[in-house]
Amino acid sequence: MNEALKLDVRNLQAGYGDVQVLWDVSLDVAAGEIVAIIGSNGAGKSTIMRTLSGLLPVKGGTFSIDGRPMADASAADLVRAGIAHVPEGRRLFSAMSVRDNLLMGAYLREDKAEIAADLESVYQMFPILADRRGQDAGTMSGGEQQMCAIGRGLMSRPSLLLIDELSLGLAPRIVDQLSDRLREINAKGVAILLVEQDVIAGLELANRGFIVDRGRVTLSGPAKDLQGNAAVREAYMGLGAA
Amino acid sequence: MIYLQLLANGIVLGGLYAAIAAGFSLVWGVLNVINILHGSFIVLGSYIAFFLYAYAGLHPFLAIVPAGIVLFALGWALQTVFINRVVTAPVLITLTLTFGLDLVLNNAMLVAFTADYRKVNLATPLPALELGSVFIPGDKLAAMVLAVALTYGLYRLLGDSNVGRAIVAVRMDREAASLMGVEVKQINAITFGIGALMAGAAGALLSIIYPISPINSTLFLGKAFVVCVLGGLGSVPGALVGGLALGLLESLGGYALGPEHSVTLSFSLLLLLLFVRPSGLLGRRGYE
Repeated sequence: MNEALKLDVRNLQAGYGDVQVLWDVSLDVAAGEIVAIIGSNGAGKSTIMRTLSGLLPVKGGTFSIDGRPMADASAADLVRAGIAHVPEGRRLFSAMSVRDNLLMGAYLREDKAEIAADLESVYQMFPILADRRGQDAGTMSGGEQQMCAIGRGLMSRPSLLLIDELSLGLAPRIVDQLSDRLREINAKGVAILLVEQDVIAGLELANRGFIVDRGRVTLSGPAKDLQGNAAVREAYMGLGAA
Repeated sequence: MIYLQLLANGIVLGGLYAAIAAGFSLVWGVLNVINILHGSFIVLGSYIAFFLYAYAGLHPFLAIVPAGIVLFALGWALQTVFINRVVTAPVLITLTLTFGLDLVLNNAMLVAFTADYRKVNLATPLPALELGSVFIPGDKLAAMVLAVALTYGLYRLLGDSNVGRAIVAVRMDREAASLMGVEVKQINAITFGIGALMAGAAGALLSIIYPISPINSTLFLGKAFVVCVLGGLGSVPGALVGGLALGLLESLGGYALGPEHSVTLSFSLLLLLLFVRPSGLLGRRGYE
């Protein structure tokens, strides 16, 4: 285990029931880094995220956060260890107000004054959420919901933010806005592991990338290199060689 | 005016029905468990109030506290030991489980307390309230006020507290709740405990109004069911509205058609409402 790494995943195997989805997945995220997981539908990207946040059990291999092994940890332990998972499809508490959704993100925290301050800083980051704080989260647009989901993730004061499908179903203008916010969050020292179907947007945002195919990591490297890689361009970007 | 009197009777009854149903609705809405034990929980609350009054002189209104504590502990333990094992199974499985647990609890009460009807006879009843031609027994009125206050307390707990938000979050999306660090099984146990607490507290209040016997459990369960479906599943304001609707219906309908038809009337309305507005009067997807 390398203790300098925020997240270190070694030979991870996981899946649903008897169906194994991940076969020997190894990847890592350094502190303060943005890493993208790229792959097509059904490649196992979301399964990686769900395993790392404790929703699915680890069947083989292991992973660690700040050098501490976490393969047996519960979802709550992983939140305490600094992981916040912004799930695919946002999964907001739809009939709860925006404010209550954000407060749910701080569920395990006891420091009331700090929670109030963090709530304000989320409102500053996404002013539209301040306007809609009393509104049911489910009544907002997709982009606003994604902002709320990211804000909810930040409310646990994570050191590693897992974001599953940032851009799915959102207008490019909104995706650009969200990407800018993520850069700001990252600049404050939060590492980000991003799953993205929009390969161009994902590699644009990330420092490094891992290509996942059929439950295995097939290629990895700096985002710049992957952007120029002929196989990646052809398979995932619909482009010819550079 | 007899109708004003009937209206007053209906509102008093309705407030009590709201407290009977609120806990049942919470458990059904959040855990998707139809808790057949709920009627026996209410009866057990009544017995606790009865014995505390008989042997310790504790007023049944104050017995809300010990009855609530005992029932919370019982509910919490039943959820932790039994119901959590099957809580994600289809509703028929959990219904069968609570049905079986109810047989055990209800028969245990029959053995311990017999089926004889008992009643709390207060040594110093509150004076009745007389407003013109309307006459309301003081203790009944006070019981109704306390029942509504309990229901309101549950509403505030769910809306304004950390644990309340977690309960609502689990109702809406268990998996997303666990991503927030919510220990879902713990919240399940607390939710079931609160449902039992509400039943026990309501039972303590009812002890001064209804005769107490384990046989009455199905009567209370039936009321909870009707109120819950009338008002909308899993909503505290729904329980209040449903309770008032049922109270008024029984009071006015009982006068118009004779008291023997009041249950028929309420279930007929229930069937009608299921056709017209299956989500209930205040039903919506979330929890309030």
